[in-house]
Amino acid sequence: MKQFSLILLSSLLIAGCSNLDRSRDLANQNVRPEVTARQLCSDCHGVDGNSVSPNFPKLAGQQEEYLVKQLQSFRHGDRASEQSYQYMWGMTATLTDEQIKGLAHYYNQHVIKLSLSKETDRILLAKGKEIFENGIPAKQSPACKLCHGAVGEGMATIPRIAGQHAAYLVRQLVIFQENAGRPGTPMESVTHGLSAAEMDSVASYLQALGV
Amino acid sequence: MVSTQRIDAYVSQALVSLAILSALGIGFIFSKSASALPLFARQTGQSCLACHAGGQFPELTPYGRLFKLTGYTQGVRTDIPLAVMAVASYAKVSSYNGSDSSGVDFPRDGTANITTASVFCCGKITDNIGVFAQYTHDLWASQDASGSWQEHSHIDQVDIRYSDRFIDESHDFIYGLSLNNNPGVTDVWNTHNSAFAPVSSYVPAGNAIFSSSALPHDVPATPILEGLQYSAGLSGYFYLNNALYAEVGTYKASTSGLSFLHDAGVGGPGALSTRLSGSFNPYLRLAANHDWNANSLMLGIHALHASVFDDATLINSNSYSTFNDIGMDGQYQYLLDPHALTLLFSFTHENQNYSGYQHTANSFNPSDTLNYLRAKITYVFRARYGASLAYTQAQGSSDLGIYGASPAANTQANLSFNHSPDSKLWVPEVFVMPVQNIRVGLQYFKWSQFLGGHTYTYYSGLGTPSSRDASDNNLAFLYVWLAY
Ligand code: HEC
Ligand code: HEC
Repeated sequence: MKQFSLILLSSLLIAGCSNLDRSRDLANQNVRPEVTARQLCSDCHGVDGNSVSPNFPKLAGQQEEYLVKQLQSFRHGDRASEQSYQYMWGMTATLTDEQIKGLAHYYNQHVIKLSLSKETDRILLAKGKEIFENGIPAKQSPACKLCHGAVGEGMATIPRIAGQHAAYLVRQLVIFQENAGRPGTPMESVTHGLSAAEMDSVASYLQALGV
Repeated sequence: MVSTQRIDAYVSQALVSLAILSALGIGFIFSKSASALPLFARQTGQSCLACHAGGQFPELTPYGRLFKLTGYTQGVRTDIPLAVMAVASYAKVSSYNGSDSSGVDFPRDGTANITTASVFCCGKITDNIGVFAQYTHDLWASQDASGSWQEHSHIDQVDIRYSDRFIDESHDFIYGLSLNNNPGVTDVWNTHNSAFAPVSSYVPAGNAIFSSSALPHDVPATPILEGLQYSAGLSGYFYLNNALYAEVGTYKASTSGLSFLHDAGVGGPGALSTRLSGSFNPYLRLAANHDWNANSLMLGIHALHASVFDDATLINSNSYSTFNDIGMDGQYQYLLDPHALTLLFSFTHENQNYSGYQHTANSFNPSDTLNYLRAKITYVFRARYGASLAYTQAQGSSDLGIYGASPAANTQANLSFNHSPDSKLWVPEVFVMPVQNIRVGLQYFKWSQFLGGHTYTYYSGLGTPSSRDASDNNLAFLYVWLAY
C-alpha cells in the first residue's frame, strides 16, 4: 500500500507539476524571462542584475541590444572565452530569441548600483580618467568615451562599462587583447597597446564611475 | 600466492592504462565540450567550477550551494540521468612494526588498486523535485576466512529533495524538504559531516590497504554525527536572503519501507544506523552567511541527539545509550577566477551517556566526552593545480573499557596505554586536474598522536600484542579520480 501510494505520488509529480511562476527549468519555453532571471540567473548576477562577486558581471542598466547580442553569441558559441563556455554556454543553449529579448529587457530596466570600491589611490584613478577621456595618443589608443559614451553608459551594442566590477573589466580587456574568445570587435585594436597597469587604472576608474 | 600476484599485476596494468587513457583520450576529446560531464554539469551545461570551488569536489561555491538548496532543479532535465565515478589508488604505509604477519595486516599495501566505482542517479525530476543518489561498488570490501577478497555493492549517499523559492528584488526565500540517509549529507558547506569528507574525500575504505579497520586511516574516535550513514532521515530547511540557513531533521533506523536507504553489507546488523531508537533523533543546523566582493563567510552551529540501542539483539529491550553532539563550524572562501581558496573548520563536542548494560559490558565510565576538530585549507589555481592541508583531532575522556581493554582472542585491536582516544592527524595534499573530470593527487597522512600518545599497543590478527608508533601508520596515498 505504502509503495503503491509512493509510486502514484511520484508519477503525478513527474507528469503534472511544472511550476511556471517559480521554475528553474531552462528547457521550458513557457517560463517567463523574469522568472528565469530571478530563479536562476540571480544566483550569479544578483536578482536585480547587481552581482556581488566581481567574478560575475553586473547586468543592471546594461544596454538592451548589447545584452541580446551577447546572449546570442554565447548561445552560438561565438563568445568563447574560458569563462564564457564554463559558465554561460549551458545557460543560453536552450534560450529562444524571445526569451533572450525578455531577459535583456529585464536587466536593462534595473538600475546599476556602485560597489564599494576599496581603491583610494588618487593617482591611479586620475590615470584611468585620463585614458577614458583622452585615450593614449602615443599608443594610438582611442578614448573610451568616444564609443562608450561620455559617462560610460554605452549605446545599442556598445556596452555600459561605468559601474562594472573592475576585475571583470580587466579580464575582458585581456581577452580582447589576446584575442581569446571575443573576436571581430573594435576592442582588439583598442586594447592592442594597453599595459596591465593601464588596464588596471581605467578599470578602477570605471568601477567607481557613477551615472 | 601466485594468483594474488597475478591479480596485482593485472590491477596495476589496468590502473596505468586507465591513467594514460584518461590523460590522453578523454582529456583530448572532452576538453571543451560541456556535454560530456558528470550529471549536474550536463544538466546546467556548466563546468564543474561553477558549482565546486576551483572545480574540485567537494567544496561548493555560493552558486553550487544555491543549486543544491533549490533541490537540484536548475537547468534542463537530462535524458539519461546517470554518471559514473571511479577511484584508483596506490598506498604505502610507513612501517610494518609490530605486525607479525604483514601480508595479513597490510594486504593491499604497496599495490595499485581500482578502489571503488560509483554510479550516480541524479538530477532534476520536476520543477520542485530533484535527486542525488549514489550507488557504490567496493572492489576490496572485505576478506573472507580464507583471505580472498569480497566485492560489495551498496547504496551510498542519498538526498531526495522537494524545494521551492520565492524571490523578488527585496526577498529571497528558499525552503525545502529532504529525504536522506546521513545527517549532514544535506548541508551545503560540507564542514561538519563525513558525507563528503573534507579531509580525505578520496581515501577509500581502510580495508583496501589494511586488513581491518583496526589499523587507522582516520582518527579512531568520531562523534556519532559522523557515524549514522544509512539511517533514514527527513529534514526541512530554509535559506533566507543568502544570509540565514536553518535545518531541522530527525533520523530513524532505515528499516521496512525505508530499507532502500540502507546497506546491509557495510552497515549490516549491529551498525549504528540500524540501532537508532524510535523516530526522534533530532538534527539541527543553523548558519549565518555573508557574501561580499569575491568573499563568502559562514559561521554555524550543528547538533544531533541520538539514542542508540546497545545491541542489535536488544532492540526490543529498553537498553539504550544516548549521544549528544553540539558544535560550531565555519567556512571562508575567496573565489575569483583563476583563484579559489577555501578555509573551513568544524568543532564538535559530544556527551556519551551509557546505559547500565553498556556500562557494565563495555565502558569503564558511566559517561564519556569527546571533542572532535577538523580544519582544512585548499587552494586551486585555474581549476587545474591544487594543494590542501587538512587536520583532524580527537580528544576525549580516558576510558579503560573503550580505549584500553584487551580484545578477544585473535582479533585485531589498538589499545591506548593511557586509555585515551586523543589523536592528531595531518594530511597535506597536492593534486592536478588535467581536465575537469580527472584528478590525480598525492596525499600524505601524518600521525602526530594516536590513542593518547606516540606509541600504542597493537594486537595483530594473530593475537600478539606489540608496541607500534603513531608514525608507523603514516601513509602515502596516490590516487586517480575519474568522473564521467
Ligand atoms: C554560475 C554563474 C552564472 C549563472 C547562473 C549565469 N551567469 Fe551569466 N555570466 C557568468 C559569468 C562568469 C560571465 C562572464 C563570462 C565571460 O567572462 O565571458 C557571465 C556573463 C553574462 C553576460 C555578458 C555580460 C557582459 O557584460 O558582457 C550576460 C548577458 C549574462 N551572463 C546573462 C546571464 C543570464 C541571462 C543568465 C540566466 C539565464 C545567466 N547569465 C546565468 C556567470 C553566470
Ligand atoms: C571604437 C569604439 C570603441 C572604443 C574606442 C572602445 N570600445 Fe570598448 N567596446 C566597444 C564595443 C563595440 C564593445 C562590444 C564588443 C562585443 O560586442 O563583444 C566593447 C566592449 C568593451 C568591454 C566589454 C564589456 C563587457 O561588459 O563585457 C570593455 C570592458 C570595454 N569595451 C572597455 C573599453 C575601454 C576601457 C576603452 C578605452 C580604453 C574602450 N572600451 C574603448 C567599442 C569601443
